[in-house]
Amino acid sequence: MNRTLDKRTADDLVRPLFHTSVWFYAVVLAAGTVVACGAGAWGYQLWYGIGLSGKRWPTFWALYLTNFVFWIGISHAGTLISAILRLVNAGWRRPVTRCAEVITVFALMIGAMFPIIHLGRPWLAFWLFPYPSAREIWPNFRSPLAWDFFAINTYLTGSVLFLFLPMIPDFALVRDRSTGWRRKLYGTLAFGWRGTTKQWNRLEMAMQIMAIAILPVAVSVHTIVSFDFSMATVPMWHSTIFGPYFVAGAIFSGIAGLIIAMAALRKALHLEHYLLSLHFQNLGKLLLLMSILWGYFVFNERLTVWYGNEPSEMAVFWATQRGAYAPLYWTMVICNFVLPLAILTNPYTRTIVGCVVASFGVVIGMWLERFLIIVPSLTHKQLPYSWGTYTPTPVELFIMAATFAAMVLLYALFAKFVPIISIWELKAGETEKAHMVKLASAPSTQHQAAAQPDASLRAGASS
Amino acid sequence: MKGVYGLYADPHVAQQAVNNLRAAGVADADITVISSEPFEHFEFGHRDAKTAMPWIAAGAAGLGLVLTYYLLGASQRAWPLVTSGMPIAPNWTNLIIMFEMTMLSAIIATVLTLLVTAGIPSRGGKMYDPEVSDGYILVGVENPADASKLEPALAIDGGRVKKT
Amino acid sequence: MAYRWGMAVDLDKCTGCEACVTACHAENNIPTVSAQQAARGRAMHWIRVERYYEGDFPDVRVKFRPVLCQHCDNAPCEAVCPTYAAHHNEDGLNAQVYNRCIGTRYCANACSYNVRFFNFFNPEWPKPLHLQLNPDVSVREVGVMEKCTFCVQRIKAAKTAAKAEKRAIVDGVLQPACAQACPTTAIVFGDLNDPESRVARLARSPRGTKLLEDLGAEPKITYLSKQPWYESDAR
Repeated sequence: MNRTLDKRTADDLVRPLFHTSVWFYAVVLAAGTVVACGAGAWGYQLWYGIGLSGKRWPTFWALYLTNFVFWIGISHAGTLISAILRLVNAGWRRPVTRCAEVITVFALMIGAMFPIIHLGRPWLAFWLFPYPSAREIWPNFRSPLAWDFFAINTYLTGSVLFLFLPMIPDFALVRDRSTGWRRKLYGTLAFGWRGTTKQWNRLEMAMQIMAIAILPVAVSVHTIVSFDFSMATVPMWHSTIFGPYFVAGAIFSGIAGLIIAMAALRKALHLEHYLLSLHFQNLGKLLLLMSILWGYFVFNERLTVWYGNEPSEMAVFWATQRGAYAPLYWTMVICNFVLPLAILTNPYTRTIVGCVVASFGVVIGMWLERFLIIVPSLTHKQLPYSWGTYTPTPVELFIMAATFAAMVLLYALFAKFVPIISIWELKAGETEKAHMVKLASAPSTQHQAAAQPDASLRAGASS
Repeated sequence: MKGVYGLYADPHVAQQAVNNLRAAGVADADITVISSEPFEHFEFGHRDAKTAMPWIAAGAAGLGLVLTYYLLGASQRAWPLVTSGMPIAPNWTNLIIMFEMTMLSAIIATVLTLLVTAGIPSRGGKMYDPEVSDGYILVGVENPADASKLEPALAIDGGRVKKT
Repeated sequence: MAYRWGMAVDLDKCTGCEACVTACHAENNIPTVSAQQAARGRAMHWIRVERYYEGDFPDVRVKFRPVLCQHCDNAPCEAVCPTYAAHHNEDGLNAQVYNRCIGTRYCANACSYNVRFFNFFNPEWPKPLHLQLNPDVSVREVGVMEKCTFCVQRIKAAKTAAKAEKRAIVDGVLQPACAQACPTTAIVFGDLNDPESRVARLARSPRGTKLLEDLGAEPKITYLSKQPWYESDAR
């Protein structure tokens, strides 16, 4: 409504698309190199065999599955912020929503790579696709891995569409401001969007429906990923708590990832006026809440195991509590619970820096949590003769590093080509706020003139 | 495409222009309002709000559910392989895939409905002014019967009238 | 009536000599791995002899238990395979179809007995072992899961011969490699559906227990032991 503000907003948010700093090239080069190394490591593994990883009898799942669950978990940030906050009409979500949805899409794409990387024969991965193969045999729909296929693809499709559709009006805006190859590119991406009332109404309705649809999908995705573990009679896997535990953990790690991404963007793209301390405060409170929830779930799970005192489960329990995995376990508890509680309960430490520190801790802690769910249980199954160990190999570590670099790379490229904050949603938020102010003020003529923020503009400039 | 339109910085003035056009005898369906954000709190933003999209999404969801149920049952019974002593087509496990396909159907139906009803992707040739991206609201009529009669309706204080 | 193949292993007769392990390797073209890979836990012994020590010197008791695929009727490994590579066949065997395996390794995690083995690399046999490969058994490539099949190639051959001669399989003639090699006849194989077969009678023995019975996987191998397995049970 306020044209000067609108124009400045659009200018600020579109500037990164037109001006490239040397840092962009540096980040892309560095991240790209690491990604290339990882791709090379994977090629090496494809050629020589999956034995180049550290997996062995009986630890048949290790680092790749840890990363798979970790990245799918990170992807739950977008759904929480975008969908839930949209449905409850929380205005503060507007600058944050696209950052979050981008994390979802890229984390899902990266996470979905790992089931292929960990396969013994990845060139046959297409057999997971539901089609009648040579002898008209379909995949086994009773397998949690088949459920994974459907869940992740549904979530990925939904998230990509949920991300892309609101980008269309912004593409139209950039199209109108650009020339040359940019105009052609954004013109194509804008799909000929004009912004008629009909188009806006349809877009808003579609976003509303998709927000409602994608929420249960997000919950189901990580529940189904948890079913990869809880469906097996492995000690400390076969637990009914895994569904909600994993979903809560996913949202937890997702918010942490979002805070880190937002802080980085704020610095890199000079978005200090848009990504305010308020946003970090709110997300920090959510992170605190999820940290407490995580602690609640872990306590529940561990108490029932310890109290039941079942021998095969206790072997795994003590391995994590006091045995070989104890250092990792206690690091995880500190990173996921102690640190966030210490930093985020105190409003004086719940600053942007504090939130970022807590978030880094949570990201590390949640990665360790995935590892500690998978490996100690597999190394301590029911028959003690077959207990084993696990050590990661350089190939696995390279590939893992490459996925983190891939996230950075994809994010940097995205922020270069698409406004990272949704301009039209921000403008709509300002209009809504002005409208609320108008409704709140007394409906008399004297007040009406004062409540119109652009009255001076209207009378003055006409161009 | 011929047309006449006005560009307004303030949505209240744009609302006035829409009312003027209606007073000048233009049908609601012929009035084009284009903006760079949805003005949901203004009357001109409520036009064209009625849509069957939620019903289409729900219908597609139901269709997806039924189709998946039959597809799963048929494919599992075509090759009845016993695994872990479970039934050949267990409802518990099939429910999971049915759920995902239901939601996917709803999402895809919603997106397709959006693309069709919003007329995107479009090849252009319709009324538009790039100044809309700078925050102006465009109110106009495409292919008017008598453009000269509409110009005074659009020429309100705070707006510029343009003709194509 | 259909066959239902089962086994009885007499722990009182087992000396831990591991002839069964060697015979299984020879019969089923199991790849050998280098010493370095074996140290990294990549060895594949479809049947292994688990050795436990109990007590302190001089009252040490050594216990041997040959563990192989139990061909569970309620196998946890079958339902989790996304490509039906692991499924239950009509003879009650837990079948592993090498061609359908894409190597997700979920079945190996789900198996509580840890009897499934994975080809981490393409198989190799140092010369002259490559000359003694069994032509009746396929060789598995990298990324494929394998395990004891109750020597299904021998079962198939016996069934084919029996069908051609219009008779049933004679009990005791059809033996997997481990049973054939065992010097103390500790391993007995046969049709559990035939109440008069040796294995069916041994399965009914009061000395018989099942391994990890309380997990509910319904294994088909009966372990016979007069002495209680746990020293604590003896008192």
